[in-house]
Amino acid sequence: MADTVQEFVFNLTFPFSRTLGSTLSTFSSALAQGQIIGVRTGGRVIAPPLEYDPDTAADAGTDWVCVGPKGTVSSWTWVPEPTNLHPLDHAFGFAFITLDGADTPMIHVVDAGSESAMSAGMRVEAKFKAPADCVGRIDDIIAFVPALDPSPSEGAGAPYDAPAENEITEMDAFCDLQYVDNASPTTLMWSKALMEGRLIGQKCPQCARTIVGPRGMCSVCAIELDESHIVEVPGRGVVSNFTIVTPTPYPGQTETEPFARCSILLDGADAVIAQQEILDVPVSELRVGIHVEVVWAPENERSAADIDNRSRGSGGDIIVGWRTTGEPDEPADRYLDRMM
Amino acid sequence: MAPSENDIAIVGFAQLPPDRRTNLTESDLVLRATREVIAQVGIDKSEIGFTVSGSCDYLSGQGFSFVQNTDAYGMVPAINESHVEMDGAWAMYEAFVRLLQGDIDIAMAVGVGKNSNSDPSTLFTVEFDPYYLTPLGTDTWSLAALQARALIDSGKATERDFAEVVVRNRANAKSNPFAQVKGDYSIDELLAADYVRNPLRRHDLPPTTDQAAAVILARGKRAYDLCERPAWITGIDHRIEAHLPTVRKDITTSVSTRLAAEAAGVGKGPIDVAEIHAPFSFQELILRESLGLDASTEVNPSGGALAAHSVMTVGLIRVGEAANQIIKNGKNRTLAHTTSGPCLQQNLVCVLEGDQ
Amino acid sequence: MSHQPVAIVGIGQTHHKRKRADVSMAGLVREAAQRALEDANMDWGDIDAVVLGKAPDFFEGVMKPEMYLADALGAVNKPMFRVHTAGSVGGSTGIVGSHLVSSGRHKRVLSLAFEKQSEGNAQFALGGGKGASIGAGGAFAPFIRAYIQRSGAPEDIGWMVAVKDRLNGAKNPYAHLKLADITIDKVKESPMMWDPLRFLESCPSSDGACAVIFTDEDGGKAASKPPAWVLATAMKSEPGWYSGRDAVNPQAAHACAQEIYKAVGITNPREQIDCAELYVPFSWYEPMWLEAHEIAAPGEGWKMTQSGATALDGDFPVNMSGGVLSSNPIGASGLLRFAEAALQVRGLAEDHQVGGANLAIAQAYGANAQFFAMWAVGSSLNPLG
Repeated sequence: MADTVQEFVFNLTFPFSRTLGSTLSTFSSALAQGQIIGVRTGGRVIAPPLEYDPDTAADAGTDWVCVGPKGTVSSWTWVPEPTNLHPLDHAFGFAFITLDGADTPMIHVVDAGSESAMSAGMRVEAKFKAPADCVGRIDDIIAFVPALDPSPSEGAGAPYDAPAENEITEMDAFCDLQYVDNASPTTLMWSKALMEGRLIGQKCPQCARTIVGPRGMCSVCAIELDESHIVEVPGRGVVSNFTIVTPTPYPGQTETEPFARCSILLDGADAVIAQQEILDVPVSELRVGIHVEVVWAPENERSAADIDNRSRGSGGDIIVGWRTTGEPDEPADRYLDRMM
Repeated sequence: MAPSENDIAIVGFAQLPPDRRTNLTESDLVLRATREVIAQVGIDKSEIGFTVSGSCDYLSGQGFSFVQNTDAYGMVPAINESHVEMDGAWAMYEAFVRLLQGDIDIAMAVGVGKNSNSDPSTLFTVEFDPYYLTPLGTDTWSLAALQARALIDSGKATERDFAEVVVRNRANAKSNPFAQVKGDYSIDELLAADYVRNPLRRHDLPPTTDQAAAVILARGKRAYDLCERPAWITGIDHRIEAHLPTVRKDITTSVSTRLAAEAAGVGKGPIDVAEIHAPFSFQELILRESLGLDASTEVNPSGGALAAHSVMTVGLIRVGEAANQIIKNGKNRTLAHTTSGPCLQQNLVCVLEGDQ
Repeated sequence: MSHQPVAIVGIGQTHHKRKRADVSMAGLVREAAQRALEDANMDWGDIDAVVLGKAPDFFEGVMKPEMYLADALGAVNKPMFRVHTAGSVGGSTGIVGSHLVSSGRHKRVLSLAFEKQSEGNAQFALGGGKGASIGAGGAFAPFIRAYIQRSGAPEDIGWMVAVKDRLNGAKNPYAHLKLADITIDKVKESPMMWDPLRFLESCPSSDGACAVIFTDEDGGKAASKPPAWVLATAMKSEPGWYSGRDAVNPQAAHACAQEIYKAVGITNPREQIDCAELYVPFSWYEPMWLEAHEIAAPGEGWKMTQSGATALDGDFPVNMSGGVLSSNPIGASGLLRFAEAALQVRGLAEDHQVGGANLAIAQAYGANAQFFAMWAVGSSLNPLG
């Protein structure tokens, strides 16, 4: 029998896509052309521009100003070991960089080569991606590098004439976060029993309710439930309710055909197991009242890899599904209310 | 003291032992913390008129994650309940405001965070300016380091001063059974460590902690049924600043903390003990100054956020620790502070007083 | 429950669309807030505190976006608060905002709720980022099936609600869906989504924001436009799952309504309430909430729909604005209900105005039909006399 799984890695990845609105579109469109701009608002040039003045809450307006590409570092730090989300894969610095023509600094990356090369007051210059690769996002600037020629940027401080229509109005924001959760004692009770071909619940000593797919607590009485509260429940019951889902496409979607998830009131246990799949009834013929029994995966094919802390009674890959027993249906109205 | 119907006190506080990596779920943690605080004040859960929790979906990695946590409340029959996507200290603020409606006498506020499921150097990148900061993977440690260097360059503090904060808090933490990081260290040994984000070293950064905590608040005379020496909330306020630290006037001081402290009446009298939530060591220096504290105030006898840092819980624990100084330790006037956002963007200050 | 009287003097919302490609997130919330400020004849500097509410941040992929939005919402140097109570969040955002005034903490509070879910994907976010998400409709379809069975309601009730709400939406300049030519047949023939719910019986996915400005009694009386008065607020929660739970007719829904009615002195909701904005994201929830909130007797809610009582020209109009079926920026939808109820008693609902509306209720619900937020608003502090 395989071991139960202790840790679950969940990669939260999604291709978010942001619309920029007028100010950020103007900035992005200019950036993609190699021009950094700021906005003059409340008496100072903020670069990169904000939509709304932080001091007054007024619209920051459209008094665009050319800034950079060079600037001066004020504060700085060093990242010796970049994460997978950092834009460079070797050590680099983050810094407050006040671009020529701007009054407030921006935060960006400084590819200085070594920590000792970083200093307050150093002159840096934006290094852009190849024009064909620029999309108007702040990382079109690969990094700032020490300026070979520290003299002021040409044209910095001059007004910037925004075009009537902005070419770039959206920004890709791919999310890539990893979580590692570990199986709680309650989850392990559930997955261990499943691996042994047993369905268990926990019965509350106070209200006598049984919850299948133990949760470690009674949500009515607010008391802890543990191994001592485990009860065996039969792998036989009656479909009490169901949902048939027509899948919609989204990144990470695994389904293409309508699928169903059923609640099953387990025989003699006064407990419902939810989110189950009926194997031998076409989705269009699904109904309340069908007698079903659990179908276990063969012992050597069982895996608890999917039984994480959010399983809530899901049998993962250990319960293949439920099949009809052939007994005549029960009257639906006796069961329909037991979706839980 | 003869409290008015609008006087609200903290009458109970429970925190779970901090864990670098628990195998319990957030819901398990909430159940344990709430059961403990309810037992502590000796009431039945049905006497709680309002329950509110603070937690964060992104921290736990699941949308609606607080919903499972409500299983811990036993909401049958249905209860008055709410949730904030903020530290439990702000949940306590909502409980405070709810009690002022006058129809209930007891409220419970909860904070919970299973921080160990995520990596703080990547997770918090998605909390920052989505256009200018997130695409660069700008992380919370780097932003803190930028503020730290600004503090050094302003002449207000040195790396030695940062290490001194760590030494003091870790030493204080020795007497705190709920501290994860504690012990005797010397400034020199700390300064010998490598930078993680120059000028910050690992010990300047907050630890990663799984934890939950809960407080019970009571209104008016009812407080005395639950606690002999309630910690009365005589002032509470919170403020937020501009998001980007680069457009704030001066990140070597915390304007929002000063404003909140003024509105909470910190300066109206001596503060015996201040529990300050400084996730990064040097921020304690900024916050002490912005809170207007002088040398007569004992700061972070618990060891503060450097002793245990469960995001979403740590602020409520500051409140609970400050309250316990009154409830259990005979102090008269204490302060709790908590922060959120890049470089101390948002701050809450709470002043507590005991009966004279 | 309230301590001091609270007036609603400013209401604003965005033009809700599947994708607001013309604005950033800040631009979206700003649009609603600016309209509310104009309505209230106020400026940013007049607001003392901001309460922001929205659904899980996975919808947009920005964690705690209120931190970024502080600048856009004029919250710098002020208190900013973030509520998150799942689907009912718009309601709780309004309630928390109103409490900040009724407690005397602040004089003028801006509550704002939004969702810019086109930047992500709602089904993805609802499914926790995994495949085979059953979606919200998938969670509620079994409850609806049970309701239909229990009540003996005919199959076309859901279709009738879908038509009514979309026709109302066509009268609402801000609504996402304005399906003026929708018919029962079109609904009946639309693709099945979650049996028995068809596509046209289900809410859209919208970008949108809603803003409400609260002030105290003096502010309400001094307002240039008629205010709405907050008569009562309530929030009730029950567990999403326990053995034997009745999720079709939740106890929390009853408890929430009972608390509102008691506070206002409503003894006959069907007669005394002039109109209601209820959170109906799937058609059948109209009759279900009418029963759960004791406006209709058990098993009779569908008859109110069938008889036309809940139509705009009926004797108990529901979702005059077009409701969630016409616009669903998830985090904002609850506050839209609350705001629309307030618009009614202010007499400012224009083409979807219920004549003589003096007492209106609004409701939002969330998660597994387990969280409920409600309020009652009146054209005066004592509309029942």
